Amino acid sequence: MNLTVDAQSQSNIVSQAPRSAGERALDHFLAAGFERTEPPILHPAAIFLDMSGEEVRRRLFLTADAAGEELCLRPEYTIPVCRAYLASDKAGRVAEYSYLGPVFRARADQGGEQTQTGLESFGRTDAEAADAEVFALGLEAAMAAGGGALAARVGDARLFEAVLESLEISAPWRRRLRRGVARGRGLDAIFSRPSQGALAQPGVLAALESADHTGAKALVEDLLAIAGIETVGGRSAGEIADRFLEQASLRSGEPIETEKRAVLDAFLSISGDPDQAAIELRRLADSARLDLGAALDAFEMRTGFIAARGPKIEDIRFSAAFVRDFDYYTGFVFEAHDPAAPRAKTALAGGRYDGLARRLGSADDIPAVGAAITLDRLVSGGER
Amino acid sequence: MGAEFGAGAEAPFVLAVPSKGRLQEAAAEFFAHAGLELVQGRGARDYRGAIAGVAGVEVAYVSSTEIVGQLAAGQAHFGVAGEDLVREKVPDVEARLELLSPLGFGHANVVVATPRAWIDVRTMADLDDVASAYRARRGERMRVATKYVNLTRRFFAEHGVADYRIVESLGATEGAPASGLAELIVDITTTGTTLAANALKPLDDGVILRSQATLIASLTALWSSNARRAARDILARIAASEEAARSREIRARLPSPAHLAVEAAYERFGAVSATGEDVDPHGFVALHCARGKVAELAGWLLEKGAERVSVAALEQTFDARNALYEALEERIGPDGA
Repeated sequence: MNLTVDAQSQSNIVSQAPRSAGERALDHFLAAGFERTEPPILHPAAIFLDMSGEEVRRRLFLTADAAGEELCLRPEYTIPVCRAYLASDKAGRVAEYSYLGPVFRARADQGGEQTQTGLESFGRTDAEAADAEVFALGLEAAMAAGGGALAARVGDARLFEAVLESLEISAPWRRRLRRGVARGRGLDAIFSRPSQGALAQPGVLAALESADHTGAKALVEDLLAIAGIETVGGRSAGEIADRFLEQASLRSGEPIETEKRAVLDAFLSISGDPDQAAIELRRLADSARLDLGAALDAFEMRTGFIAARGPKIEDIRFSAAFVRDFDYYTGFVFEAHDPAAPRAKTALAGGRYDGLARRLGSADDIPAVGAAITLDRLVSGGER
Repeated sequence: MGAEFGAGAEAPFVLAVPSKGRLQEAAAEFFAHAGLELVQGRGARDYRGAIAGVAGVEVAYVSSTEIVGQLAAGQAHFGVAGEDLVREKVPDVEARLELLSPLGFGHANVVVATPRAWIDVRTMADLDDVASAYRARRGERMRVATKYVNLTRRFFAEHGVADYRIVESLGATEGAPASGLAELIVDITTTGTTLAANALKPLDDGVILRSQATLIASLTALWSSNARRAARDILARIAASEEAARSREIRARLPSPAHLAVEAAYERFGAVSATGEDVDPHGFVALHCARGKVAELAGWLLEKGAERVSVAALEQTFDARNALYEALEERIGPDGA
């Protein structure tokens, strides 16, 4: 290496210093009009525990303030960016942000700090166009960061909800299905419930079997009232009675009609590129007389916007069973990883989360869609 | 205290035992039973002691939580602690500690308990369903009061229960549901009476751990030659009294010679010769046999021609093989010094 560098070429070196992978991705978001934001690193731990459950606790770096409130280092950006947006004067209006920086998660084999970059779009009412833009920008930025093309998988929580609604599935089973599918369980596992027939009060149950639901519920509530019970451990006597009777009815009957189950089965097994999937979804809606109108129109419109934005539709894989176990994800969801390593961790993940703002204290839902790139999970192809 | 060991002397072997209450008494009794008399320092407030007749051992009287901490950090070589505390407080137990022997006291179960009025909840699967309904209805997670944060998290994850929050409780956990601080609890119970008194019930498959006081070795402590010598000695005595408690000695005289009878007694009853291989040519046999097989073995000896069979309890039985120490040495490696 030549060590004699004159002032002129030195300044050239500085101005042409190669941008890091993260900066190249960020540049892409900035160019699209997503203003860079840097939310605080410290947040109340309770927010993340409430959103993601106690399981994330072992991944959080925890600390406390002088008053004893439990704080944590941000394990991701979406909630911090959303909190900053809600606290700003732009809350409720259109605002689009990008970010680049460290997130903190305790991991057994690696360090606790990872660099993430990403973007969040709030307040846009042209939801399908916003979905498509955020999805395409995420894929492009991953390429700009030096990774090769990623393999993308997409899903749509709104379609799933429309199917459940249209089939008139009861509220408890809707919840169980949503949750079971998000955890990758099949219908057999979801509908086979180990506690069936294991209830302890056979006498009460036998007496209830002939009664109608309203009468039976009143009886169980009365029994609990006689025992001096109104609300126990946060559950009302009515709630307990409802579930007791529902569980009792499972001893004899099927949890769901055979035809409805067949439709669910057919819906959940639909996968393929989004255009092909839309054809199959329409076919299913027709044959099963499902009202998927608005959800399916939105799905097709989004596919059109994505195609117009660049990504090849035939390279995207839609899966009806791809949903997330977070109730604030309300529509489009996606993730992408290195296609050369099918078991590689997700490098790009995102989706529509209209329900998050309200969970963070806003009076109403606010349209929101975002994506995050975990830089050390990108294919290193472009850097080689 | 440390100054009593000269500058050149090797560091002492540290045995950490509970400093108060029933656990202290039970631990002292256990060691005394093995011929290891714990001698506390002169003052009642002296938290250091020794074992009569075993050189180079320092007994540290500390709280149960501290015992677990000292073992994990390698500050004590041996300690007596409940398995519940060990599994809760020490990440990666297998790499740091060797659970040498359950001690037969301090029994308690760590269980998941819900209000008794939840007549629709009997299993963890029910709890999972109810927890997710609770969250769907209220937008908040069900709260679990416990001091066993790690055990709870692991157990709930194994059962797929995700919709809950832990509220750390440092005392009177069983009162948390009644006072509205939590919906359910994870706590220790011995007889279940405290749970019942608070209108709580354990779930059918909600036993997280069946715990008892356990003799534990630290794998990260400094295992000097002196420490190994002390450990070998202590474990030999414990094994000797445990083995003795399990066995009876049986004596009889058979029409000579007896070696075929000894072999047959081993095959049929698992009995071994009381003094090793040596067999008396005149037909005299002394055997050690598990308590439950004694009557059968005696009957068999009478059949074989013995006139009289005597059975005696054993105080201690030392074996050339020190299985407890061998298990420990396998983990800490052979003495390099």
